[in-house]
Amino acid sequence: MKQHALEISNLRKMYKGELGEKDVLGLDDLTLTIPRGEVFAFIGPNGAGKTTTIKLLMRLMFPTSGSVMILGESNASRRAMRKIGFLPEQPRMYEYLTGREFLDFTGRLFSLGKEERLKRSDLLLKRVGLGERGNALIRSYSRGMMQRLGLAQALMNEPEIVILDEPMASLDPVGRKDFRDTILQLKAQGKTIFFSSHILSDAEMIADRVGILKEGRLQRVADLEALTDLGTSAVEVTFRLDQEKQGRIGDSWQKVAVQGGQVMIRLPDRKQLSRLLSDVQSWEGEIISVVPVRQSLEDIFMAELGR
Amino acid sequence: MRILAVMENTFKETIRNRILLNILVFAIGLILLSLVIGDWSLGEQSKVIKDFGLSAMSIFGLLIAVFIGIRLMVQELEGRTIYIIASKPVHRWEIVTGKYLGLALTLAVNVLLMTAALLAAGWLMEGTIDTALLPAVLLIYIEILLIVAFSLFFSSFSSPVLSAIFTLTVFISGHLSGYLHDFVKLYEDRGFHWLLKLIYYVVPNLEKLNIKLAVVEHLKTGPHAVVLGAVYGLSYVLLLLIFTSLIFEKKDLK
Ligand SMILES: Nc1ncnc2c1ncn2[C@@H]1O[C@H](COP(=O)(O)OP(=O)(O)O)[C@@H](O)[C@H]1O
Ligand SMILES: [Mg+2]
Repeated sequence: MKQHALEISNLRKMYKGELGEKDVLGLDDLTLTIPRGEVFAFIGPNGAGKTTTIKLLMRLMFPTSGSVMILGESNASRRAMRKIGFLPEQPRMYEYLTGREFLDFTGRLFSLGKEERLKRSDLLLKRVGLGERGNALIRSYSRGMMQRLGLAQALMNEPEIVILDEPMASLDPVGRKDFRDTILQLKAQGKTIFFSSHILSDAEMIADRVGILKEGRLQRVADLEALTDLGTSAVEVTFRLDQEKQGRIGDSWQKVAVQGGQVMIRLPDRKQLSRLLSDVQSWEGEIISVVPVRQSLEDIFMAELGR
Repeated sequence: MRILAVMENTFKETIRNRILLNILVFAIGLILLSLVIGDWSLGEQSKVIKDFGLSAMSIFGLLIAVFIGIRLMVQELEGRTIYIIASKPVHRWEIVTGKYLGLALTLAVNVLLMTAALLAAGWLMEGTIDTALLPAVLLIYIEILLIVAFSLFFSSFSSPVLSAIFTLTVFISGHLSGYLHDFVKLYEDRGFHWLLKLIYYVVPNLEKLNIKLAVVEHLKTGPHAVVLGAVYGLSYVLLLLIFTSLIFEKKDLK
C-alpha cells in the first residue's frame, strides 16, 4: 500500500479570543497531500498561518476541525511521531546544556540507546557544521548556531519526514547554502521534507512543489517541475532581419519587439518553432537566439498575493 | 526511559540555577546563625536552635518550591523549549511527571543540605546528633513536595504571578485549616460561606504535616503520625499530578 507522507484534511484553527477579544482565524480549511519523497515549500507572508499549520501537524495545538494523517496513521499516535523530525520557528533549547547534551536528551526522548545517541550526536554536529562548538553551552550560541543545532535535533531519529518552520530565517548566506545542501542530501535519501518560509527564493532552489498561503487560506499549489519544464513553455525567438525585408513577416507572427535590424517573436507554444525557423530562413533572416521563457515562481507568487 | 530523561534534565536545570543556590546558602547561613541567637536565650538554647532551624527549613523550602516550580514551567512554556520536547514521541503526562520528579530530587538535595546544617548546629551545641528531628524533616519535605505540586498545577493554566498567589494561598490556608473550620461554622449565614467551605475541603490540612513542636519538645509522635501524614501528603501530590497532566494533555501550546 502506498501511503502519503502527510494527508491534511479540512484542517482549521480558530484562536479563541481572550476575554472580550475577537476570535482570530489561524488556518482555514487546509486540504493538502504530500507524497513521500517530496520537498514541499509552504510559502506565505507573516501571519499567513504557516506556523499554525505546522503546530497542528505536530499536535502542539489541536485543530478546531479537520485531521492530519502521517504515513497513514493519525498524528495522535506516537508511532507516527517517531518518524518525524521537527524544527520549530526560532528554536530555543535549554541554555544550561551543551549542544551535545541537548542532542543526547532529544535522543532519549526518542528512546534511542546510549551508543546510538553518541554516534548520531557526533555525526549530526559535524553535519550541521557545529563540530567542536557542540561542547559549548547553548547559552553562548548565536541565532544561526541555534538554528543549526535545531536542525541536528530534528534529525536525531533519522526521520522519514522532516518538518521545518522557517528553517532559513536566521541563517547567513553560508548557513543557507549548507542548509540547502542538507535538504538535498535528505531528499536523495528519500526523505519527505515540508518546510515553511516567507521568502520565495528559499523555495525555488530546492522544492518540488510550492504551496502559497495567505490569510489562512491555501491559494495555490504550484509544481516547480512543471513550471520549469521546457517542453510546455513558451519560446522567444530573436533574429536579424534587414529593415526593408521586415515587411515579409506580415501578420502571421506576433512580433514582441523590433529594434533596428533585430526582431523578437514570442511563441506561446514551442510546437510552432520549426515553422517559424523555416520562415525566418525564407525571409533571409539570421537566427540570433531561441530562448524558452517560463512563468517564474515569482510571477505566480505575486499574482496570488497581489490579489 | 523518557520520564527519567526529563527528570534528569530538570534536575540539571534546577541545580545549575544560581538564584536557587543563593537561597539555599542563605537558608543554611540562617540555620547556623541560630547558634548565636541560641546563645542569648538562657537555658533553652538547643530547643530554640532546633525550632528555629526547622521553621527556617520549612519556610525556605517553601520559597524554593514555589520559585523553582513556577519558574520551571514559565521557562518551558514561554521559553518555547516545550515545542521541541512536546513534539517528540512523548506523552505529555510523561513530561509533567518527569519534571515533577526532577524538582522533587532537587528539593530533596536542598532539604538534605539544610538538615545537615541543622544537625551540625545541634551537635555544636549539645555534642550529640538529635535524630529525633528526622521525622519532622521528612514531613517538611512532604509538605514541600505538596506545595511544588500545587505550583505546577496552577502554572498549567494560569500566569506565573497568579500561580504564585494561588500557591501561597494554599500554603497559608492549609496551615490555618483548623481556624478555617471554625470560620465555616461561624459564618454559616454569610455570602462568602461557600468560599470558606470550598477552601476548607479542597486545601490540604498542612498542620497534619507539622510535628516540629512535638519533636523539639521530644514529645511522643510515634511512627503512626508520620506515616499517616506522609500518605496524606503524597495522595494529594498524586491527585495534583493527575490533574496537571490532564490539563497539560489538552493544552494548546500556542
Ligand atoms: N497564539 C495566538 N493567538 C491568537 N492568534 C494567533 C496566535 N498565533 C497566531 N495567531 C494568528 O493566526 C494567524 C496565523 O499566524 P501564524 O500561523 O503564526 O502565521 P505565520 O507562521 O505564517 O507567520 C495570524 O493572524 C496570527 O495573528
Ligand atoms: Mg510563523
